[in-house]
Amino acid sequence: MTGRRVAVVGAGMTRFVRRAQETGKELAFQASKAALDAAELRLADVDAVCLTSAPDAFDGVHRKGDYLADGAGAWGKPFIRTYVGGGSGVFTAIQGWYTVASGQADVVLCVAEEKMSSCQPHPQGAFLTIFDNIIERPLGPNLLWIFALEMQRYMDRYGLDKRDIASVAVKNKRNAAGHPAALLGQADITVEDVLASEVLAWPVQRLDVSPISDGAVALVLASEDAARRLTDRPVWVQGVGWNLDSTYWTNRDLVYPEYVENAARMAYAMAGVTEPRKQIHVAEPYDPFDYKELHHLEGLLLFDKGKAPEAAAAGVTARDGDLPCCPSGGLLGVGNPIAAAGLMKIAELFWQLRGEAGERQVPGTPERGVAQAWGDLMQVGTVVVMGTEDARTDAAGATADQPATMLGPTPLSDAAFRAAAGAVETDLDVRYAWDPGEVMGAFLDALREGRILATICTACGRTLVPPRAFCERCFRPTDGWTEVAATGTVETFSICHVTWDMRPLEVPELPAVIRLEGSSDGGFLHKLGDVEPSAIRIGMPVEAVWRPIAERTGSILDIAHFRPRETA
Amino acid sequence: MPVSFRYTPGVGNTAFFEALRDRGVFLGSRCADCAVTYLPARIFCERCFASLTPDIECGPEGVVVSWTVAHVGIDGERLDPAVTYCLVQLDGADTVLLHRLLGQADIGARVRAMLSEDRTGAIGDLQGFAPA
Repeated sequence: MTGRRVAVVGAGMTRFVRRAQETGKELAFQASKAALDAAELRLADVDAVCLTSAPDAFDGVHRKGDYLADGAGAWGKPFIRTYVGGGSGVFTAIQGWYTVASGQADVVLCVAEEKMSSCQPHPQGAFLTIFDNIIERPLGPNLLWIFALEMQRYMDRYGLDKRDIASVAVKNKRNAAGHPAALLGQADITVEDVLASEVLAWPVQRLDVSPISDGAVALVLASEDAARRLTDRPVWVQGVGWNLDSTYWTNRDLVYPEYVENAARMAYAMAGVTEPRKQIHVAEPYDPFDYKELHHLEGLLLFDKGKAPEAAAAGVTARDGDLPCCPSGGLLGVGNPIAAAGLMKIAELFWQLRGEAGERQVPGTPERGVAQAWGDLMQVGTVVVMGTEDARTDAAGATADQPATMLGPTPLSDAAFRAAAGAVETDLDVRYAWDPGEVMGAFLDALREGRILATICTACGRTLVPPRAFCERCFRPTDGWTEVAATGTVETFSICHVTWDMRPLEVPELPAVIRLEGSSDGGFLHKLGDVEPSAIRIGMPVEAVWRPIAERTGSILDIAHFRPRETA
Repeated sequence: MPVSFRYTPGVGNTAFFEALRDRGVFLGSRCADCAVTYLPARIFCERCFASLTPDIECGPEGVVVSWTVAHVGIDGERLDPAVTYCLVQLDGADTVLLHRLLGQADIGARVRAMLSEDRTGAIGDLQGFAPA
């Protein structure tokens, strides 16, 4: 065991709603108070506070950490905000674990808040700057693209049936029907409903996606001595792990989340879990999209690669299945106030392992569970293993307390939101200018000449597109330039029907990751053209269509698009 | 970035703005245990996490805690005339409010809130503080 033992002794959450009347501070307070009440603690008993919240650009408050601090109970206390995108919710429990395990605090309040409704016209605007400013943003990517590209590649590799993937959305929305905090619980939803929902960016459809939400979740962590004093049913944090993949997402194997496996192996090793499929009894994998739950279950080593979808369709992951997954209802059913949704997964394990999950309680007496979240530019995995360790003394289901006290929040209709007294509307009236830097500048200059350049690392033997000044694996300067072909194959693609703010497109966009010939790790994001969308296939040979020389500007747009290439 | 933000005032500030608009009063909330009155009103005490009710009227007079004269705007442009801002602790409140100082008043001087005739329920309903 690493450091001091740490237990969860209380959890609380607000309802997840589309628009809350409460400010972010007030949401954080409601969840924090509920968690303290559940642990029968006062704020004065808390030694330190760990907070998380996803991008500042959701709430529109730069420095969201200290803005939220009073609502998180941090007045006059050691306080830290950590942030790893969508992985933040689970990570803040890891931060809490650290703070207690290190001996610096005996009782820590972990708080996760998100208020996405402030961001207009659509919170996806907060994600526009996650793409590379020089070679991706000129293409106009939106967040749905990368999910669609990853889902398509996952489906293609294993020949998956979209019905099996849709069964995850059905399961989670049905599970959420029993959750008092849920935004999108629906007991009678079917796979047909999911498959008939609006196509956003093929293969992603409306009901494959979790909803925008406001909400907060809080957790009380305690040292062993404090935990034994506070409760006779502590739930121990047995293992923590986290891991980050390359930021060059077009170079990654989008089929399998290795970083989740790495994080899981770290957490399992600490927890002494050697056979996760036998030793994990309940799982809360991260499910912002239905395929992501399956992706993550494979990364968590709970199913063989490519096998989670058929298991889900067969009911293995149902609440009464062999391995209940997202019994809470997950992000797809309860809602997705991003950081809060991640911490909700830890709270759900706490309630499930204590037998306090009410209608959502999984059968039997689960003794160990795993929660996982994922985020940044689709590259971080955060994993926590929790368990009761000592067999539960109470009979199964003996207590069926609902999650703490549901204090709020008050949902606002769109009309009430628009009419609220004292409301202030502000444009984020700033502009950025990005210099491409030396290496990317040379790459862009070559595009103007109709050539695609790569850098090479002789230490690992890779030919790198996009080019970079240093090899991030060997951590040494790259060794020079080479030219790669302007031909390649479609690694994955999407057919996108909406803009970032969800306005329909008359002509769909065709984003694709192009694997360039001569590049060792893939290639880059671009668009397809001169092709019927229905004719596009993964693995299809393509070639760059260059703009006329006079129109080239030294931009990724000097390639107009990639089109199908005739091969002998 | 092509995004804008719409900030709604939340539960505590809604009570504050509605009282300012409808009754021309400054509404705070008091934590008796901590002996602190927060202005504007909050729904919880940040010191002890007690739930609070927005029901304490403060002001309309108070004391200047600090002030500054701004000669430069946020884009670096010169402000002509310069604008004076102050922190005022309204009578009955333990926290201070940031607003314009209309005229001159030094630290410790008493000032009075100057309200607009047509109030909408926004911080602009208060024009600023003038020497009492």
